[in-house]
Amino acid sequence: MREAKEPAFVAEFRSPSDLIAAIRHALDQGFRPLDALSPYPVEGLDEALRLPKSTIRWPMLILAVCVAALAYALQYWTAVYAYPIHSGGRPLNSWPIFPLVPFEVGILAAGVAGFAALLTLCGLPRVNHPLFDWDAIERATDDRYFLLVGAPEEASESRRLRTVLEGARAIRVRELSL
Amino acid sequence: MSSASAFASGSARAKAPTLLGPLDDRAVTDLVCAPLLRPAGLRWWVAFLVCTVGLIATLAGIYKLFSAGVGIWGINTSVVWGYAIANYVWWIGIGNAGTLISSLLVLTRQDWRASISRFAEAMTLFAVSIAGLFPILHLGRPLYFYWLAPYPASMQVWPQWRSALVWDFWAITSYLIFSIIFWYVGVLPDFATVRDRSSGAWRKVYGLLALGWRGSARHWRHYRRLQITLAALATPLVCSVHSIVGLDFAASLMPGWREPIFPPYFVVGAMYSGFAVVVMLSIVISRGLGLQQLITARHFEAMAKVMLMSSVVMGLSYASEWFAAWYGGNRADRALLVYEFTGAYWKLYIAMLTCNIVAPQLLWFPVMRASVPVLVGVSIGILVGMWLERILIIWNTLSYSFLPSMDRIFFPTVWDWLFLFGPMFVFAWMFLLFCRVAPVVPMHDVRELLHREGAR
Amino acid sequence: MPPVIRPPSIRADQLSRRHALQLLAGGAASLATGCSEPDKNSVAQGDRTELPYVHMPEGLLPGVPQHYATALPLAGYGRGVIVTAFEGRPTKVEGNPRHPASLGATDVFAQAEVLSLYDPDRSQAIRAAGEISDWPAFASAFRARLQEHGVDKGGGLRVLTGRIASPTLLEQMAKLQKALPDLRWHVYEPTQGAEGEAARAVYGVALRLRPRLSDADTLIVFDADPLGPGPDQVANGRALADRRRRDRASARLYAAESALTLTGAFADRRITAHPDAIEAMIAALAAELGASIARPQLSSGAGEFLAAAARDLKARPDRALVLVGPSLSPTSRALGLWINDRLDGPVDAFAPDDRAPQAGTIAALADALRGGDVRTLVVLDSNPAATAPGDLGFADLMARASFRVHAGLYFDETAAASTWHAPTPHPLESWSDIASPDGAVSLVQPLIRPLWPSWSAHAILAPMAGEPDQSDYERLRAAWRGRWGTDGFEARWRKALVDGVVEDRAPEPVSRPRATLPNWTVPAPAPGFAVVFAPDPSVFDGRFANNAWLQECPQPFSKAVWGNAIEMAASDAGRLDIREGDEVEIVAEERRLSGPVRLANGLAPGVLRITLGYGRTRAGRIGNGLGINAAILRASASPWITRGAALRRVSGDGRLSPAVAGLYALPGEARKLAPELAPGAALPPPAPKPSFNTPTPTPPGDPYAWAMSIDTDACIGCNACVVACQSENNVPSVGPDQIRMGRDMHWLRIDVYDHGDGQAPRPVFQPVPCMHCETAPCEPVCPVEASVHDHEGLNVQVYNRCVGTRFCESNCPYKVRRFNFFGYADGQEYGDLGDPLVKAVNNPNVSVRARGVMEKCTYCVQRISAARRLAERETRLIAEGEVVTACQGACPTQAIRFGNLADPKSTVSVLRHDPRHYTLLEELHTRPRTTYLARVRNAGPGGSKA
Repeated sequence: MREAKEPAFVAEFRSPSDLIAAIRHALDQGFRPLDALSPYPVEGLDEALRLPKSTIRWPMLILAVCVAALAYALQYWTAVYAYPIHSGGRPLNSWPIFPLVPFEVGILAAGVAGFAALLTLCGLPRVNHPLFDWDAIERATDDRYFLLVGAPEEASESRRLRTVLEGARAIRVRELSL
Repeated sequence: MSSASAFASGSARAKAPTLLGPLDDRAVTDLVCAPLLRPAGLRWWVAFLVCTVGLIATLAGIYKLFSAGVGIWGINTSVVWGYAIANYVWWIGIGNAGTLISSLLVLTRQDWRASISRFAEAMTLFAVSIAGLFPILHLGRPLYFYWLAPYPASMQVWPQWRSALVWDFWAITSYLIFSIIFWYVGVLPDFATVRDRSSGAWRKVYGLLALGWRGSARHWRHYRRLQITLAALATPLVCSVHSIVGLDFAASLMPGWREPIFPPYFVVGAMYSGFAVVVMLSIVISRGLGLQQLITARHFEAMAKVMLMSSVVMGLSYASEWFAAWYGGNRADRALLVYEFTGAYWKLYIAMLTCNIVAPQLLWFPVMRASVPVLVGVSIGILVGMWLERILIIWNTLSYSFLPSMDRIFFPTVWDWLFLFGPMFVFAWMFLLFCRVAPVVPMHDVRELLHREGAR
Repeated sequence: MPPVIRPPSIRADQLSRRHALQLLAGGAASLATGCSEPDKNSVAQGDRTELPYVHMPEGLLPGVPQHYATALPLAGYGRGVIVTAFEGRPTKVEGNPRHPASLGATDVFAQAEVLSLYDPDRSQAIRAAGEISDWPAFASAFRARLQEHGVDKGGGLRVLTGRIASPTLLEQMAKLQKALPDLRWHVYEPTQGAEGEAARAVYGVALRLRPRLSDADTLIVFDADPLGPGPDQVANGRALADRRRRDRASARLYAAESALTLTGAFADRRITAHPDAIEAMIAALAAELGASIARPQLSSGAGEFLAAAARDLKARPDRALVLVGPSLSPTSRALGLWINDRLDGPVDAFAPDDRAPQAGTIAALADALRGGDVRTLVVLDSNPAATAPGDLGFADLMARASFRVHAGLYFDETAAASTWHAPTPHPLESWSDIASPDGAVSLVQPLIRPLWPSWSAHAILAPMAGEPDQSDYERLRAAWRGRWGTDGFEARWRKALVDGVVEDRAPEPVSRPRATLPNWTVPAPAPGFAVVFAPDPSVFDGRFANNAWLQECPQPFSKAVWGNAIEMAASDAGRLDIREGDEVEIVAEERRLSGPVRLANGLAPGVLRITLGYGRTRAGRIGNGLGINAAILRASASPWITRGAALRRVSGDGRLSPAVAGLYALPGEARKLAPELAPGAALPPPAPKPSFNTPTPTPPGDPYAWAMSIDTDACIGCNACVVACQSENNVPSVGPDQIRMGRDMHWLRIDVYDHGDGQAPRPVFQPVPCMHCETAPCEPVCPVEASVHDHEGLNVQVYNRCVGTRFCESNCPYKVRRFNFFGYADGQEYGDLGDPLVKAVNNPNVSVRARGVMEKCTYCVQRISAARRLAERETRLIAEGEVVTACQGACPTQAIRFGNLADPKSTVSVLRHDPRHYTLLEELHTRPRTTYLARVRNAGPGGSKA
């Protein structure tokens, strides 16, 4: 998430529908909504904010494939070169059963990669975000929906934005510097 | 509605509401967080103390086991495996249901799973960690369990990759870690919710656990994608894990074990016993934490149907086993089949069939599905039956194999029983703690469901 | 040839630095494994008068075993053995091929002697009335007593011994009787048959008659057990097996017996009959051969049996033999001798050794004691208090003698009833000489200094006869110098010690005088049960009761261990509503014995069978309180059978000893587990199995592919291999409680299957070691590569890699792997086997397994590697017969063969193409290296049903 230190207006709404409406409204008025906070993933929010699709699957896929390949390589090397033994007349490279372990660890790798990717993509963990300076934000994890709009330079524009947001049934509007 | 959900929620006529109103975002938060914010009640403390005693007894048993050797169990020269392996398979089976619920049901759009997925996943974590102990406890020299792992040892030896136990090692490890990630990802936003409602030291604790989650749309976007992907990955993982457990037996040449049907039939059996536990946990939690609004008749209805379906599949599996043994015409296989019904353990075998196949047929009747006592009874029966199934797979084959001179019967000792019941208290002990520190219901999922149903 | 590993001949020019270091390392290692102090058990120091079997090494090479020839007594007779010692620590007994009672093999008791040697429960001190005393005190008391007797020429002085077959000891006894003419000598041997008087009845003189079993085409045994435990077992087994190998079709063994014996199991045609019926059969047979006696009525089965037997007898009378057991009446035994004489079968007659003084019976001694004319009783190497027939009440009678001396290996029941007790040395600790049953004499030389101060029978008798006080060694040499003369004595002495047998001592057969038909009368059938007795296959007459190896060695048929029981036919049990394990009481006259019931196959209705040697109270920590003492029921008049016994059920919970397995019927398809063939018949070749995976037996080019072949037609089920394996491979004993839990450690077991039915069994013994499968199911399931295959085809277990998952055993179709559930050899031993002294019995070339580790038969890999080291030193391949596994070396009948499958001319390779060759569980396609030859049953016409 791009963390430019800039002022922004944060508006509080009662319902996800109000939020979405407010975003549309603000866009129509030529403002640029930055982000929204919601207690659950609101359907259509990404589209409203024009957020691109998440790329989180790529690291998962890549790491999974690499680790699985590594696992098979390890099996092959240990069973065929490092410690070749006659085991029940089985071939040294028992390919029919060797894929089992790579499968398991591959999926594990995908999971680990996914979690790591989530944290990096979201810039987490970050326990001291400026948003938390506003107590009302607490309800973003409960029953309130917040919209972040980048504050315009001119004071007149800022005033207009505030009225726009309040017009969009915002309970409270407040300017924070993010 | 998708066909899958039709199976789970019955015909539209019979469909009960998933959530009992009146409910809104705030109500959900209050319901779920209340148990965490208020001090534990007397009932909790009593239960916790009882389980602590059980936990200590189990630890004492482990101490005795490590100091005296596995000889304290009833295992013998022929029946070299006993309760430890049966318990292992039983627990890992239970451990499967949680992830199945929140992966398979996510993929099949079963909205009712939302309320139960969280504690079902917790159940998975605890069950799998307990299950993971047994393979180590059952070793003759447990201090060397790490020899199953590949590392550049000074002896320059490596694991024997053809052994099902090595597959187990990797399957259990992968499954446990993956489940932890899956669970933590799920609970992350809820920790944020609790963080913002709690105060004092706990606020800091939850603050750390929440990693600074804010519910930002830019986060939700990755979050949702990750959750779906993990669910998609968890499903094959769960199936593979119990298939591999099935291979512990199937990848042998002993009569009664060498059966290709074992992997799928172990997976179903796992789901079977897992759901039985979830049913009982759901009852305890909805009553104990006052969440009847979130865990409703609809849930029990759906889970009862899953168990019914599983029992039918189990019946078919047994039948196919018997058919294969007879049709294969092999002397040893046929003899074993006869032995199962007439041998030393025939009473247990009948009991197993009754618990797993006969009793669950009650659930064909809606009135039975609606009755909590019936559900509890059937669930307990299933758990007993599934444990019997696992121990009988071991006992019958090892007690009665190719050469009569080595036919030996297994006689359990007091230590066998301790290692059967002790871990149940350990499980309850962990679960009680879980109820006190983590939101037992995924609030963001429920809110989503709430809004979607509201939208309908 | 026994596995004699010749120590390397080290010459300075050969001795490379590497070689020296190897020897040093080996020495250090084996010294570390040796446990008790060197001065106790090192022949390296002290009197070095023993002579090694082969090339005497320059001094003692640490780690290089030495092999000494000596002889071990059983029931007074000697069996030649070669004992392996590491640093003067005897660890293993092998047979002596030059000794006629061994022929290179041993019985189960000889194998276990090394454990008895290190038994910490052996008597370790002189005791006066139970209190520890010392030799001077005893000597003075004894001398004083003897002086009194010197006055009355030994009147009131009695000596009781077991059978004495030691020429030197007999000479001493003669001297003693010369010195004290009124002294009386009595002999009691609990397992003694009734040889003498039957011969006197037929020939008028006391002849020793010895049948030559190897020359008999047709052999008929009536309640006799030539293959049963005893000093003749090995020689008889070898003779019968050799006879079968020569021409199976013409060798036929008939057995009519009241209880199933090893001979009955070996028989081609067997019938179960009550002793009365058997006596009638003998009479009928005699009549058939022209004896002028009334032909008694026979049952149809007995009639057919006897007709077939008589037909064969008449076909080749000069190659036919009849043996009549001691449990039958003297007249029947005499009739048996008459039949043999009539047939002129292969029987040798020997004149009794007239130089030997005549000894009285124990019954006579009991009478004397009762009559109060015994003041001093000396008991040598005998335990009458426990083993004397019950009708004598000997233990109580002993008190009638005011001065009672007991000398024995243990402070046993008789010692407890004596005023003085002196410990005697173990045979492996003493100098002596002893004759085999057929008269071949061996010198007995010690392998080790006595572990505790002890006094041999020689040393006890010497002062009585007023002989000079000298060491046994000097006394023995003096005696033999007397026989051989002084010139060339040293050479002969040395040769006798090296060979383990004195050539010129085997006596010559004498011609038999004319036989007279004994007058035979129909024995009056007694009501009630007939109780027959037999030497126990594990503890014999009780002298091995404190030997854990033997206690845990399964009985041949019931596979019971750690005790005996009252064996009973199922039909009788059903009639009396008695279940196995019930406690019953047998009452014969006023003698009572109660014990648990075990149902036995092949036991005639109306017959109960109890083996001797149990119910010991002072055997030691291992043997105390096990089983019931059958001697209580014995009568001195007819020691082998007690007729007219009553039986009643006491309770439902008898303390029945555990059994590790049983005798299994083989229904239908299961028969191929242990097939049975007619002579000359062949087994169908195994059907080829389709397989995607065709493994190579051994890496191409490897010169060795070890394999074993076991001939079930030669196996007599004597268990020698089982204990030999235990001794060679440091296999621990687990004790009765572990056995009850279904745990045992034997690497080699003997399965026994029944092709007949419970009433008329046709058993087949099948020794089952590890199969060493080429596609071993145990290997791929091991997660840590502890169960692996070596390049010579051995399926080996790497103990220190094993983590104890036990997957290998659960996936082994033969269930030949054994798991250390506890530290059976490693800190959690049974009884006193954890005693540091017992550890001295361990073979330093085999690691002792820890708790939690799986173990199994290794084909005695340590012997293979020893042979390989030798071969490599001489830059050649290991030759056929150079590697002899412990079980193979012990086998009296050479049923077990071991060798190199890669060599097409080796025995195992040849036997693989034998028409009788089969593979156990062939259908599993495990490709075992251990395979079998099928049992042959030469039942003859109409014999199939019997």
